[in-house]
Amino acid sequence: MSGLSGCTLLDGGGGGSETITIAATVPETGQFSSLGEAVKQGYELGVTLMDEELDQEVELLLSDDESDPEVVRQELQQMTSNNEVDMIWGSFSSLLVTAGSAYAENQGIPFLGAFFAYEGPHRNEGYEWTYSPFPKSRDVARSTSGLLDLIPEGERPSNVGIWEANSGWGEEQSDYWEETLSEAGYDVVLRETYQLGSEDFSSLISQSDSANVEILLSTPTPPGGITAVNQMQSNNWSPQVLKFVRAADPTAWWSALGETGAYACMCPGWVPGLTGGGNEGLWSAYRNEYGLDDNELIRSPVGGGYNVAQTALQAVEAADSTDPGELQSVLRSETFNTVIGEFGFEDNGLPAEGDLTAPTGQWWEGNQHTVYPDTDGTGAMDFRYPIPSWSER
Amino acid sequence: MVATDLLVESVLNGLLLGGIYAVAALGLSLVFGIMDIVNLAHGHMLMVGAYVAIVLFTALGLTPIVGMVVAFAVLFVLGMALQRVVLERVVGEGMEQPIIVLFGLALILESLGRIVVGSDAQATEIGIPGDAISIAGATLSFPRVVTFVLSIALILGTWAFLKYTTTGLAIRATAQNSSAAQYMGVDTDNIYVLTLGIGTGLAGAAGALLSMLFPITPYVGWSYLLKAFAVVVLGGVGSVAGTLVGGLILGVSENVGVLYLGGGFRDIISFGIFVLVLLVRPHGLFGSSGGGE
Repeated sequence: MSGLSGCTLLDGGGGGSETITIAATVPETGQFSSLGEAVKQGYELGVTLMDEELDQEVELLLSDDESDPEVVRQELQQMTSNNEVDMIWGSFSSLLVTAGSAYAENQGIPFLGAFFAYEGPHRNEGYEWTYSPFPKSRDVARSTSGLLDLIPEGERPSNVGIWEANSGWGEEQSDYWEETLSEAGYDVVLRETYQLGSEDFSSLISQSDSANVEILLSTPTPPGGITAVNQMQSNNWSPQVLKFVRAADPTAWWSALGETGAYACMCPGWVPGLTGGGNEGLWSAYRNEYGLDDNELIRSPVGGGYNVAQTALQAVEAADSTDPGELQSVLRSETFNTVIGEFGFEDNGLPAEGDLTAPTGQWWEGNQHTVYPDTDGTGAMDFRYPIPSWSER
Repeated sequence: MVATDLLVESVLNGLLLGGIYAVAALGLSLVFGIMDIVNLAHGHMLMVGAYVAIVLFTALGLTPIVGMVVAFAVLFVLGMALQRVVLERVVGEGMEQPIIVLFGLALILESLGRIVVGSDAQATEIGIPGDAISIAGATLSFPRVVTFVLSIALILGTWAFLKYTTTGLAIRATAQNSSAAQYMGVDTDNIYVLTLGIGTGLAGAAGALLSMLFPITPYVGWSYLLKAFAVVVLGGVGSVAGTLVGGLILGVSENVGVLYLGGGFRDIISFGIFVLVLLVRPHGLFGSSGGGE
């Protein structure tokens, strides 16, 4: 960690309390609920770390946002009305994180949000209090290019298909994919929009088959992505490489699809296999708190949540205060080192361009493994390619 | 320019989907045509039917086809009870009461669904194992073909029941003129009970069919209610044939429209058709101002 040496213990800061109070919502029910528990575990392990490192009590107010942006706002309003909240942490997905962020911006409370790749709000909404320690759309596109580079040149597929969710992030991510992969020499043979929440992917599957799509990229919700793969199987079509950002993040992917979901790649911010930045501490803390079976790996959202807490810890240490202005100043100027890597923030809250390498994970035998970048951490493995046809699986 | 084989595949997929839309709409159409009641809880009854099939499949391993039969039976009984215990008491008190009761029932079913099964989508559809089928160069999903066949069987069964049985004749007579039917000895109260039972039973069966293809949540009711409305308006209230044709037209229009315009237009296409038919032919393709078959 650079720029954070010489920190002193906290003085309690502008919060006026000896307890640091953090408000957060997670989706324990609703369309993102299969990730809620893992995000919660990451936050709770992170708070334990903060407690130990800060020598000051840290209180985490956590509630279920039902995967509903309006509930995010209501819950945060209730928590901040009844408590002296020093910081807010974000939920899951651009839909929910931006709702929390909007509330924090309005209240002037520092906000940290992971699981949120959408760059548009950072650029358009004049964020002052929102910081996102998480790979963004441009990083996801670079990571996709890096993943494909792992395939030997002679075997590398070239036809890219993008299923674009009709959301701001869907369009932004599709733009980055098209631009980055076109520059890298790939042919984007299909880019089709679909309604977010759609349950019928048959037309997209037919169009992908017809356009000879070999690399399929999209940003569906978890239920949408699972449905899409089920329908690919029943239509007897699959690409050679499949990357479903967010959809393949939760364990629900494997519990719903089993081996049908193998080979699918995702970009969840953190994947088992990364090293440094406190990863060893995360594994140790997780084993102690929740236990792990022999072949079981930590679920990816745990790392993303833990990284939020690590960022908060380092910000509070560097500011030596919980005063919002001090925290904001530190977040804009310092460099942070967490389980997802080392990064600073731009003034608009984006991680500085080029700082983060978005790790790509791949489902294999019931776990998400790091396949890009090349690491030797627990859970890393070689990229499995190509996806065999359904009859050969 | 869209390739011909892609267009053919899209049309065929639309037809398969349209079959289920038709079953989803048939119960709504019958109840509307015969009882003059807009069943606002129809979509939620469909949702309950879907969960009946899902529970039977996940807890007991029963095939989706058995699930469909049980879902029909469960919703048939619930529908009859609803008419006998609740609706009978408010029918005749004005247009608003039944609508308010059924709207309230929809909200109750949605909330109960959320409490009992949670908000999560049932991510694993209870698919029917089988290889994709190739027709005229188009690849069709096997579960879709099976659900289409079941849908057509349900529609034909309902049509035959109304056309060739004494009870069916009584139902049609009640639809045409309930007072005259009463004078001819038809127990119209029982006919209404039976009609709502059949209508909701068909909703349950449609839900079971949909659960074989798509994820289900407690919130899907409104979406399928609106699609069913579009089909009923398109085909004509109370017409079995019209409902089938309406469902097929909606399914094909959606699929082909998505092919040319993009997935974001799916709902615009559905409800564009709905509005257009209301403007041009308010009684639908097969309907008459008198309603009924």
